[in-house]
Amino acid sequence: MSDAAPAIETEALTKEYGDARAVDRLDLVVERGETYGFLGPNGAGKSTTIGLLLDYLRPTSGTARVLGNDPRRDVVEVHDRVGILPDRFGLYEDRSARQHVAFVTETKRAGDDPETLLERVGLEDAVDDATKDFSSGMEQRLALAMALVGDPELLILDEPFGGLDPHGVRRVREIVNEETERGTTVFFSSHVLGQVELVCDRIGVLHEGQLVAEGTLTELRNRATVADDTTIEDVFVELTDARVGDGGERR
Amino acid sequence: MRWSPLARSEYRTVLTSKGAWILALLVVLWGFRPTYAGWDAVGRNITIGYIQIGIDLFLPIGALLLSYQSLIGERTTGSIKFLLGLPLTRTQILFGKASGRFVGVGAAIVAAALVLAGIGLVEHGPFSLLPFLGTLVATLLLASAMVAVGVFVSTITRRTVTAATGVFAYFLATVFWSQIVTSIYTAVTGVPVDPYDAPASGPLFLALRLTPDGAYNVLTNWLLGVGNSTELFHIVYTKLDPSVSVNAFVVEAAFGGGGPWYLHPALSLFVLLGWLVAPLTLARRVFTRGDAL
Repeated sequence: MSDAAPAIETEALTKEYGDARAVDRLDLVVERGETYGFLGPNGAGKSTTIGLLLDYLRPTSGTARVLGNDPRRDVVEVHDRVGILPDRFGLYEDRSARQHVAFVTETKRAGDDPETLLERVGLEDAVDDATKDFSSGMEQRLALAMALVGDPELLILDEPFGGLDPHGVRRVREIVNEETERGTTVFFSSHVLGQVELVCDRIGVLHEGQLVAEGTLTELRNRATVADDTTIEDVFVELTDARVGDGGERR
Repeated sequence: MRWSPLARSEYRTVLTSKGAWILALLVVLWGFRPTYAGWDAVGRNITIGYIQIGIDLFLPIGALLLSYQSLIGERTTGSIKFLLGLPLTRTQILFGKASGRFVGVGAAIVAAALVLAGIGLVEHGPFSLLPFLGTLVATLLLASAMVAVGVFVSTITRRTVTAATGVFAYFLATVFWSQIVTSIYTAVTGVPVDPYDAPASGPLFLALRLTPDGAYNVLTNWLLGVGNSTELFHIVYTKLDPSVSVNAFVVEAAFGGGGPWYLHPALSLFVLLGWLVAPLTLARRVFTRGDAL
């Protein structure tokens, strides 16, 4: 463990499912304190990469370090210091929003008040409601509240804007900005490109398991040889267009 | 312990489910079975026998049904992504799950046993305390073994329907265990097995007591002092009555005494412990290797 180590560092990280390679020799460095947008089309390997960083999945080869720790060997240390909003998750339907957050605070031994965290994500009116009646946007907000438990040093948000209405999207963006100001590193995957543009310091574009471009939005524009006022959507399409259709869907 | 919130969450899941209390109710309703044979066998300790009768039939399948979804259920709904994101090792997750489910099942079962004890106390008067406490311990051991099997099934399967099929297959195997064992015995040795007059074969009797419910009955029959068998206590008593012919495998009837050392009833404790430790060890081996999603 080292405090000087990058928040995330992977070297030749590879994950194969049979003959399919979901993550392909990925070299990635996310420095402390930055907000990193991990972009890619559906099936590019974003969630698989996050799964490898969190030890949900085990790499076929290569290494990953999170806050200087091995995600597998130091899983308790890593998960204690990282807040996670997973993609395609499910909630415990018979439990309230408060119980969900309390479960994480108790396990993390954090002093957070669940109600305060739920207010922060805009769920103050549903604190004690069972989550089986939650909309997808409310579920997403609750998951974000759970990710914020314990003031994590690194927030890993997998498609955090999914299912959110415009108010929810703005709330997430505000929270990301607040966390960044607090010094938290934020790593999020998304294909909602406009939001990435508003939030991220640096962007990495993943395509078919490989990092095909990385840098600030200006650097990506230059690399994609498009005009300075081009939207990130055009940059993204330009960077990945030639490769679309080359391979099948990935996890 | 880091995993105690998970264990608490699991036992709440069990105790707030209808299943746990239906199980407790069935144990009471099925177990309370006053019979002349039972009274002749153990007198007032028939109250302890009620516990054996109810537990023998319902606890194995009930505990399995209350635990086989512990992990596969989270895989199916996607909540496993939160579970795996907690600061817990996969081993801690597994033990948190198993211990929480065990406490839930155990609480419901102890409640059922206490109700039966209360009924027995009113109906028949005081019973012996030590065999009662021993039976409670054996019951909790059986519950823990069955929860371990359920968690194991939940760990090694990827689909709920596969896990449910595994539970059903296990249940069928234990229900027909004596037929399976005697068929294999006959196929291997060429000796037909007549349960009215069972051969004095140590391996045959050992195999019969290798299931969790068989081992439980052996232990509780020993505590009740009726004889050495996987059958229910009143059947064992009847079998040992020379004037009655019953199709039951009882060591004293077949061997004319205690039989080989490895058929000592106390050794069934190790059978139950084996059913607790082996599934959890295998489940841990599977769950800590490779992808968890």
